[in-house]
Amino acid sequence: MGSPCELICEARKRADALELSALVAAEAWRIEDKFSRYLDDNIVARINSAAGRPVDVDEETAALLDFAVTLYDLSERRFDITSGVLRRIWRFDGGDQVPSRQSVEDMLSLVGWHRVDWRRPELQMPGGMEIDLGGIGKEYAVDRCAALLREQGGSPCLINFGGDLVATEPPLRRRRWKAAVEGDEPDVPNRIIDLKIGALATSGDARRFLLKDGVRYSHILDPRTGWPVPDAPRSITIAADTCVQAGMISTLGMLKGAQAENFLSTQGVVFWCRR
Amino acid sequence: MTRSDNRSISVTLAAATCSLLGGGIPAPVDAQEEPAWDFNTSLLYYGEDDDRVKDYSVSAIARRMFVDDRFLTIGLTVDVLTGATPNGAIKQDVPQTFTRPSGDGAYTVAAGELPLDDTFKDTRAAFTVSWQQPVGETSLINIGASASREYDYTHIGLNAKFARDFNRRNTTLSAGIALSMDSLDPVGGAPTPLTPMLDVGDKSNRRGDEDKDVLDIVVGVTQVVSRNLIVQANYSYSNSDGYLTDPYKVLSLVDSTTGDTLPRVPAPGAEGPSHQFLFENRPDDRTKHSIYGQAKYYMNGKVLDASYRFMTDDWEIDSHTVDLRYRIPFGADRYFEPHLRFYTQTEAEFYMLSISDSQPLPSFASADYRLGDFDAITLGIKYGWKTRNDNEMSVRVEGYRQTGSIPGNQIIGNQATRDNYPDLNAIIVQLGYRF
Repeated sequence: MGSPCELICEARKRADALELSALVAAEAWRIEDKFSRYLDDNIVARINSAAGRPVDVDEETAALLDFAVTLYDLSERRFDITSGVLRRIWRFDGGDQVPSRQSVEDMLSLVGWHRVDWRRPELQMPGGMEIDLGGIGKEYAVDRCAALLREQGGSPCLINFGGDLVATEPPLRRRRWKAAVEGDEPDVPNRIIDLKIGALATSGDARRFLLKDGVRYSHILDPRTGWPVPDAPRSITIAADTCVQAGMISTLGMLKGAQAENFLSTQGVVFWCRR
Repeated sequence: MTRSDNRSISVTLAAATCSLLGGGIPAPVDAQEEPAWDFNTSLLYYGEDDDRVKDYSVSAIARRMFVDDRFLTIGLTVDVLTGATPNGAIKQDVPQTFTRPSGDGAYTVAAGELPLDDTFKDTRAAFTVSWQQPVGETSLINIGASASREYDYTHIGLNAKFARDFNRRNTTLSAGIALSMDSLDPVGGAPTPLTPMLDVGDKSNRRGDEDKDVLDIVVGVTQVVSRNLIVQANYSYSNSDGYLTDPYKVLSLVDSTTGDTLPRVPAPGAEGPSHQFLFENRPDDRTKHSIYGQAKYYMNGKVLDASYRFMTDDWEIDSHTVDLRYRIPFGADRYFEPHLRFYTQTEAEFYMLSISDSQPLPSFASADYRLGDFDAITLGIKYGWKTRNDNEMSVRVEGYRQTGSIPGNQIIGNQATRDNYPDLNAIIVQLGYRF
């Protein structure tokens, strides 16, 4: 998942806590192994290396692809799981290396879900294109783990995968979990959110940006242009029933750029937007 | 995009999430930003019967929470006091006239009535500030300051407390110290102790300001005994040094046979006391020791909070306080809390109902009913509930009854026919709101 993953649980016995953490770890590793784009023997690698040939996918992958299609439509093509290749030319390391217009144009020929032929369970994609489920995977993993914990019943748990989190129950003694949302400085909370139950997800990373000629480029790329979304907030934190919903609404909000707050305020969600 | 289009996004997303995750729908999210400030406010009314003291009090405590369990707490209280308070003189079968504390006027009390000084009016503003933070993994430090001001009294105080957890946080040892520097600027000047109340306008026995210092030290231990029981024990030491006399209180100088207050004639053309009254005098040092024990017992949502305090001091006042509260929840966010408090104290060694003209003038004397032998009982109930926006409201109503007695050997002649320590009844109504 590319970030620290933790489980905090209030169990009656040490053995129960160990059992729950083993359950969560196993599920997190399963999803990581299956969908990570950094591995070369999973379904994502098979799709990305198919070089134009059709690939049959399993039920779970198909469900994630269907979900990605819904987001693609909802976002008017701003949320696109084929946009990962743009990272080859955009490196958000705080420096000033802005790619040339030409290289962005060239790369855009490899971006666009509309170029993909998806007929569940078969996916056919032009050679050179890649899909990346990283924009959904972490939130999906958190919700999957939360569902497993709920099936076990009882112990209140907080799952935190790199800032995407779910509380299955309120903690026993205190009434709420306390989640600190990081600001510009690492480990310095910008705000503290009391979470009784449900999910929180944050999009945006104040440390990932480019600065050239006084223009700050956020790391949120618009796959339609290949350029960073102008005037995107520094971060958006969303509270929702599931981590997937929280994560997707915060991502959609970021993609709205200057209109983020207007968009979020019509979604009926609890949100915190930082400029 | 229109508003309705936007709204449909979260609806479509919810449906898509449901089919992605399948299965059970989790409970709706409940999240809110931690309030950076929280406020605890209250309105309090304290009213004694027979037109005695009434106190209207407004208080607000604001707490700012910082990360790492650090807190800044600021409190402000404003009291408005009105009504009348006993001036220390005894009842007589004839009207009695007194010079007001200011020395600028007089008031008369009807025959058979307890002499009350009705000029008792004051507004008090008190301010506190404190900072608390952890020290290391298991300790906590709290430092604070306080100040209050009323028209004749100024208080400035500093305090510090240190607490340390042991035994897997089941045991906490704490120690605290508080210093207070108070100054009094009595209306009309502090009278020279044990001198007579003089005619209106005669301020020859009035002095200027006075002050006192108070040192309090407390050490305590809190122990978690079981999942249901937590107990606490404290020892506290308090030393007051300086002007401890009440400048507005007098004693009646009485005939050693009849017990009636000796009459007095004001100077020709002057207004003044009708009888002989002497301003009281207390030692300028007082040391108190007290021990306090408290147990909180949790049983099925109900909480019993019982405490006991024993206090003894070198004025020979011993007191015992028993306090019981029982919190009974009903529903998810409502509770009743009945409260019973019993208090008893012995009189100070220099407490006397009156001063006899046949005895040499004592070094110290006070007829202040608060230094006498009395019992008090408080009975009340508190009702608390959570408002729709998750804030807390409470209403507390309590009755207070104080009954005192005068030792038989202090009662002289006709005094035996009068109620020298009338009962005091008061009601307390408090509204609290926490947000």
